[in-house]
Amino acid sequence: MEENKELELKEIRAKLKELLVTSLSLEDIKPTDIKDDEILFGEGLGLDSLDAVEIVVLLQRNFGLEIKDMNEGRKIFYSVDTLARYILENKKK
Amino acid sequence: MNETFHKIEAKKRGNALGFWFFKTTLKLFGLSGAYGLLYGVALHYALFDKPARAGALAYIKRRFPGSSGMVNFVHTYRLFINQGKQLIDRFACISGQVEFDMRLEGYDELMKLVAGGKGFVLLTSHTGNWQIAMTALSKIDKPVYLVMRPEDNRAVSESLKIGADNNRIKIISPEQYLGGVVEIMNALSAGAIVAIMGDRRYGFDGIDVQFLGKPALLPYGAFVIAANARCPVVVLESAKLGPRRYDVNVTHTIQPRLERGRDKKEQLRVFVQEYSNILESFVKKYPYQCFLFHDIWQAQMIAD
Repeated sequence: MEENKELELKEIRAKLKELLVTSLSLEDIKPTDIKDDEILFGEGLGLDSLDAVEIVVLLQRNFGLEIKDMNEGRKIFYSVDTLARYILENKKK
Repeated sequence: MNETFHKIEAKKRGNALGFWFFKTTLKLFGLSGAYGLLYGVALHYALFDKPARAGALAYIKRRFPGSSGMVNFVHTYRLFINQGKQLIDRFACISGQVEFDMRLEGYDELMKLVAGGKGFVLLTSHTGNWQIAMTALSKIDKPVYLVMRPEDNRAVSESLKIGADNNRIKIISPEQYLGGVVEIMNALSAGAIVAIMGDRRYGFDGIDVQFLGKPALLPYGAFVIAANARCPVVVLESAKLGPRRYDVNVTHTIQPRLERGRDKKEQLRVFVQEYSNILESFVKKYPYQCFLFHDIWQAQMIAD
């Protein structure tokens, strides 16, 4: 059960990284360059709030998800890993 | 935009006694009485408030190029008087003391958008009296979100009863995490109207476009949001035409779309320039209704 979850998480992370590179037109960055726990905004990957617009759309269009609770936004948008976990948990509901 | 949080600093002018004086004069002598007080107050600011004068001059010099120092002073004074009148109008209107005749141009097109169920971005500017225009739009049967700090427009917030459970006008603060973009996107996808200031960056990134014949730095966030939400941007203009008359114009609609693989900023520049052209037409028609009070041309030079 746990193994399946980890496998699914791994797939979501990989998909997310690809989507981030293509949607945000990240120059000179390959999906594999992005670490699972790399901070997305500010330091780390250096994304800004307008990139967040694209991530919101990316979540809607590719995973059918909306972030309703803004208090959770900070935790969800922290890294690829936190985004992937949010997707996994909310897809199952 | 390199920060995920943005602290917005804005100097507030006037004090409680001054506001009370204007309110009482308005109550006792009506609009013309309150306007009468302005001439001295505006002269005081034109003479002694250096930051206010510098903010106004940035615009005045581009709007009236080649004018001498004395002529620029007169333009500045007229600008301050007009701003004062519009502040009084705003208070008089939203407090219900004076009824204004508001002509809404583009109402049918706006209602078509509303009836279509999709959300849209309403692009406002520091020109004319957008707050008065909002009172007209508050009658539209659709939630309206203002992207602003409540404390920046406390009078408007209170009079429009923003934040009350039964009110359709609500606020999204740009100071929250990620500039409030998640809430903005949720509001648009739910079919709401999201009002965003289009002419001041408040620390966010901008794009240099031509405005009054010189490169100026204007924000592009509203267009990124609209392009991603696949919704239109409706430009809101409001001009004071007479003591109790306003023209609210929503006829200009921009449809921003971004293509993959092409330079995003270059694509956005087209839309920001389109907005800048609309703004320029407005200030050419109403030169004393541009209340930017910020050197967006100098900001462009700094960004370079």
